[in-house]
Amino acid sequence: MGVADHSKATYLELQRKKVHRYVIFKIDEKKKEVVVEKTGGPAESYDDFAASLPENDCRYAIYDFDFVTSENCQKSKIFFIAWSPSVSRIRAKMLYATSKDRFRRELEGIHYEIQATDPTEMDLEVLRERAN
Amino acid sequence: MPELSETYACVPSTERGRGVLISGDPKSNAILYTNGRSVIIRYLHKPLEVSIYGEHAYQATLARFSPNGEWIASADVSGTVRIWGTHNDHVLKKEFRVLSGRIDDLQWSADGMRIVVSGDGKGKSFVRAFMWDSGSNVGEFDGHSKRVLSCAFKPTRPFRIVTCGEDFLVNFYEGPPFKFKQSHRHHSNFVNCIRYSPDGSKFISVSSDKKGVIYDGKTGEKIGELSSEDGHKGSIYAVSWSPDSKQVLTVSADKSAKVWEISEDGNGKVKKTLTCPGSGGVEDMLVGCLWQNDHLVTISLGGTVSMFSASDLDKGPLSFSGHMKNVNSLAVLKSNPKVILSTSYDGLIIKWIQGIGYSGRLERKENSQIKCFAAVEEEVVSSGFDNKIWRVSLQGDQCGDADCVDIGSQPKDLSLSLLSPELALVSTDSGVVILHGTNVVSTINLGFPVAASVISPDGSEAIIGGQDGKLHIYSVTGDTLKEEAVLEKHRGAITVIRYSPDVSMFASGDANREAVVWDRASREVRVKNMLYHTARINCLAWSPDNSMVATGSLDTCVIIYEIDKPASSRVTIKGAHLGGVYGLAFTDDTSVVSSGEDACVRVWKLTPQ
Repeated sequence: MGVADHSKATYLELQRKKVHRYVIFKIDEKKKEVVVEKTGGPAESYDDFAASLPENDCRYAIYDFDFVTSENCQKSKIFFIAWSPSVSRIRAKMLYATSKDRFRRELEGIHYEIQATDPTEMDLEVLRERAN
Repeated sequence: MPELSETYACVPSTERGRGVLISGDPKSNAILYTNGRSVIIRYLHKPLEVSIYGEHAYQATLARFSPNGEWIASADVSGTVRIWGTHNDHVLKKEFRVLSGRIDDLQWSADGMRIVVSGDGKGKSFVRAFMWDSGSNVGEFDGHSKRVLSCAFKPTRPFRIVTCGEDFLVNFYEGPPFKFKQSHRHHSNFVNCIRYSPDGSKFISVSSDKKGVIYDGKTGEKIGELSSEDGHKGSIYAVSWSPDSKQVLTVSADKSAKVWEISEDGNGKVKKTLTCPGSGGVEDMLVGCLWQNDHLVTISLGGTVSMFSASDLDKGPLSFSGHMKNVNSLAVLKSNPKVILSTSYDGLIIKWIQGIGYSGRLERKENSQIKCFAAVEEEVVSSGFDNKIWRVSLQGDQCGDADCVDIGSQPKDLSLSLLSPELALVSTDSGVVILHGTNVVSTINLGFPVAASVISPDGSEAIIGGQDGKLHIYSVTGDTLKEEAVLEKHRGAITVIRYSPDVSMFASGDANREAVVWDRASREVRVKNMLYHTARINCLAWSPDNSMVATGSLDTCVIIYEIDKPASSRVTIKGAHLGGVYGLAFTDDTSVVSSGEDACVRVWKLTPQ
């Protein structure tokens, strides 16, 4: 499974220039590589991001989470979310699970990783708790 | 965040043939008892305010306040003692594994530094005394060969410990460090309870041989007995001294409590016999007592707590009761939303009134066990673990005649059509039975294993959920069902289905922790992703204005979702009931009533967001 250059470039844009709030990656079976499916602008919210994930299919996603710590510091952490809903096809789950490692290695600078099998597991609360 | 507004607490769990040793704190007027794994702190002057400590891993047997009222030591069947703070969220101070078996009695010394514990040591030590903060032993306690049922600490110096047990012996230890001094065999049966008078001058032991023996507090010699004239006619299970050390209260299996005057020479004479009103059956045997300030509290085997006034012994008692076992369903009557009916599997139906608390038991002529329960204005329909459905008519507060009908197999779920309560739908393993009154109109085999069912208020539609998670919608005509649709969304056996009060929607919950709200007319999903529970959903309720759905689960949480908002903006009540939430109902648009495995019923007030 390869990783398209465009995917890595989009990730770097999110990390360094902060032009995206989130990026959703999909595995293109024909080209056998991970490609960018959708990106979201910095003004978009977490709910927009959650709505962009398909209910029945797996995806990889990067989300830039901004929050204020208990000491009143504005911080930003990058989350890698392996979205693998239990209602999706087994073939899809296996494909995404086996390719995840290869893809993750390309992305340097991820702070936290979450595996979500249903919408409750990637709730904003979960992200907030992990970041603190 | 919903606030707990009232708790209708459970009563102490009782066991036939054994006493229940309850204790209290005279300063804060609180009493302590246990039920299952919880320790319950109740305030006698504020019966709706109850505090529950549920940190024991095993069944808790008793709990005692320390002399200064700041700490509570509670013990369980594994021989562990936990010492925790009364206030401040019950912070744990220390936990000790003291005996190798069940602990039957625990006492603090008067200075609060030492604790003596007695119980079943399984051959090793039956009694241990230790320092409360370090756990180091303060004496050797031999002399008993069987389970030690009770122990007491002399409240004044010189300190003494007395113990009594199933070997009919009463042992006297001097110390600290405590050593065996002497033993008495004045009883001819199990010695159930032994207590020192508050001034330390005497102690009394009571036994299943119906006698009570009084001993000198310092030397341990017998000085007298409770007179057998007008004495108890059954085993005496517990004894409690009055604060002035001149009187004792004893309770017995003969269903009465007696107040005795103890004279200076150590003999006791009956001053008054107190009986609690009851049906006279086994549940009225009295198994526990406490004399606190002016109150005489007695507990019966059936769980009824009666409070008499010590200064006015002729006045009738204030009784209240509650559930002793898992409360598995709740019903709120539409005509009077302040009244809540709760049932537990042992067949007990209790009526509660919001703001007041316990209001009475619904006595039925046939006391069968209850698994499913439904209530409408004039009647209550219940089913148990046999094949029968009982319809009992309600006349005001009491139950009238009961009619039963045998439907051939165990009912799994029961539903009444609210507008015509004659019509009932009962689901069994293989199909459903339609009942009209007590006549079986038809028994229909549906061909798939049925899990939950509900019939619409007008009786025209029924929804049956299967073990495979599919919801089948049928239209009901007379005695036949015609399948209209099959809805697939759930990934586990359906556990509960409910129509909204205006019948425009229905909600279903499954064993895979998911709940779904559907629109009735279009049969489309209205609210999805209600997946926030972490264990199976046991019960579900709609608010009267159709805007909220509450789900209760085995994971002890109650989650309230608003229909118009996404499922993620939900309100969670964590830890509503230790052991799981089994019953749920809305009394009005802002209050939810829940009940669960811990035998309590709680009312929560929702603050609108």
